[in-house]
Amino acid sequence: MIPLPILLTALVYSFILSLLAMGFTLQYITLSVPNLAYATIAFASTYLTLTFSLMGLTPYVTMPFAFILGGAISFMLYKFVSFLRDRGTSIVGLMMATIVFDLIIYAGMNIYADYLATVFKIYAGSFSLSEFDFKIFSFPAVLFVSGITSISLVVFFTLMLVKTKFGVAMRAVMENYNLASVHGINTERILSTAWFFVGGLAGLSGSLYPIWFAMDPWVGARMFISIFAACVVGGLRSIYGSLLGGFIIAFSEVVVTYLFSIYFPWVWAYRSVTSMVIAAIALVEMPSGIAGLIQKFRGGR
Amino acid sequence: MIDLIIDIIAFFCIYAIITLSLNFQQGYTGIFNLGLYFPIIVGAIITAYLPGRLAMIIYGIDSKLDFSANNAVVVSILRSKLSSDPIMSIMLLVLTMAIVALTCYVLGFLSAYPALKLPADYLALFMLCASESLRVIGMQTDWLAGGVMGITIVNPFWWLGGFSYYGMPVFTILATLFIILLYQRMCDSPLGRLLKSIRENELTAESVGKDVNKIKRTTLAFSFTMLGLAGVLHAFMMGAVVVGGYTRVDFSFWPWLMMIIGGTGNNIGVFLGTFGLVLMRRIMIVGKHYFWFLPFNVVWFEPILLAIMLMVTLIFRPEGILPEKSPRIKDYMRKVLKLES
Repeated sequence: MIPLPILLTALVYSFILSLLAMGFTLQYITLSVPNLAYATIAFASTYLTLTFSLMGLTPYVTMPFAFILGGAISFMLYKFVSFLRDRGTSIVGLMMATIVFDLIIYAGMNIYADYLATVFKIYAGSFSLSEFDFKIFSFPAVLFVSGITSISLVVFFTLMLVKTKFGVAMRAVMENYNLASVHGINTERILSTAWFFVGGLAGLSGSLYPIWFAMDPWVGARMFISIFAACVVGGLRSIYGSLLGGFIIAFSEVVVTYLFSIYFPWVWAYRSVTSMVIAAIALVEMPSGIAGLIQKFRGGR
Repeated sequence: MIDLIIDIIAFFCIYAIITLSLNFQQGYTGIFNLGLYFPIIVGAIITAYLPGRLAMIIYGIDSKLDFSANNAVVVSILRSKLSSDPIMSIMLLVLTMAIVALTCYVLGFLSAYPALKLPADYLALFMLCASESLRVIGMQTDWLAGGVMGITIVNPFWWLGGFSYYGMPVFTILATLFIILLYQRMCDSPLGRLLKSIRENELTAESVGKDVNKIKRTTLAFSFTMLGLAGVLHAFMMGAVVVGGYTRVDFSFWPWLMMIIGGTGNNIGVFLGTFGLVLMRRIMIVGKHYFWFLPFNVVWFEPILLAIMLMVTLIFRPEGILPEKSPRIKDYMRKVLKLES
């Protein structure tokens, strides 16, 4: 029997991770450049949540601001990467460009944490905001907020991709950048908007993280393993596959590790490594991930 | 002042091994690896685990004492023993290096199997995540390398008495010279040209009968070995291992910047880039006390500075200070084909 707190942790974690994995895959598909700053951009907004909570406000007030912050950083990053791409910079150079942003945000988070510690005597190097959360039907509100946010954003995103002109144009750009450009689609506007939107999603998911989990400036680096694993398990270039991959990785990290830890208690400390093991197995056994398996199954029928 | 100079030279040596290994992978072969710190951590962990315990067995130190749990006591006993036993001290150093080299070679070879199936960008991510996972394992496993708190290790040059502090840096310099010569010889040999041909066009190399995957695996394994040795030298020089300190910024992103600034594919350029940045970083670390008035630790300027330099290099000088020289056909005919034009 799995205890309720473990189940709730797995649920909240899977909602957050799925959104992050979906955003990472989407950014990758649009420019074919893995954004190494993605997790750090997401978790930069946790310090916004901390600041709002310290001001006595509910942490959920942060959500729109986190969306704007994540979106703005992601937009700037896109402009920088696309500027370099137009100058003929290689894929290595473009990935290095994303590292530039990763480093600046990482340093910025640490400087802000130090500032809070020195000036306001608040230890912000590691914190959790669960005490600022409230209950709905005796369950923590973050469970509902993260769930509703996650599901509604996926629905909104799907409808946007299928039903709107912007979505169709975006799909065209993702399929073939040059062809879309020849057909008169403003690729630059489509991509910069997509990066803003996806960065906003990252910021939003990041702002919810410290309401349930402990946060420190290194969470971005650690969570990057889980995001990457989710993308690999889901399928390297599949948006909905990565969404599914997020759930699988989150449940493996929390629930499967918990079940193992009943017999081998030391396993629990290594839960973040579980995802990497799963990713390595997935790469060897099913390189195209769940999306590839589904496609194969459909083709077989 | 002398201590600072030795410190700078020794750190330069360690980073020179790392950046040359990176240049061998990326600059020559085109293997995009962001997880340089994986073998470095392996080297550091084995250095934290092996020599101390081995020395305990050899000297028959009380088996109730554990090297990790009773670290301070055991290290002080070992210090008294090894201070008068130079042969054993050197043997421990050599044995550790040999085991790390072997382990890293095997790990490099094994990691290449899933890694080479991936496109270049995902290989970089895979290696980055694998390194971060190993770092987490090292931090969570107390018996391996002291966990989060770290562990003090033996100094193989305690027998030098008052000069024991200088023993390891001098050894590091000598070992680095050997590794640099080895890399330079390999890069100047037909192997270097073969690697460059793979980097430029894998398909062409395959069409003339070269087993590209095998060559890439061997390149990765060899670089892993050298990086592992860099981990051993770093650990011994620090006198302690804190696995949490082996971060992606310090042991992967900085070497990348050193290589990019110096000039990818050019060992001399990489060497220059490494020297310049190590000098700058060490001066910054030493000089941070002058910024006591700031409400935050001045070390956080380091990643910002790294980012700005990377940005400037990518925009204005993407090929680095000393770009790779393309071989002139005249030189090629004279040197390789032994023909005069």
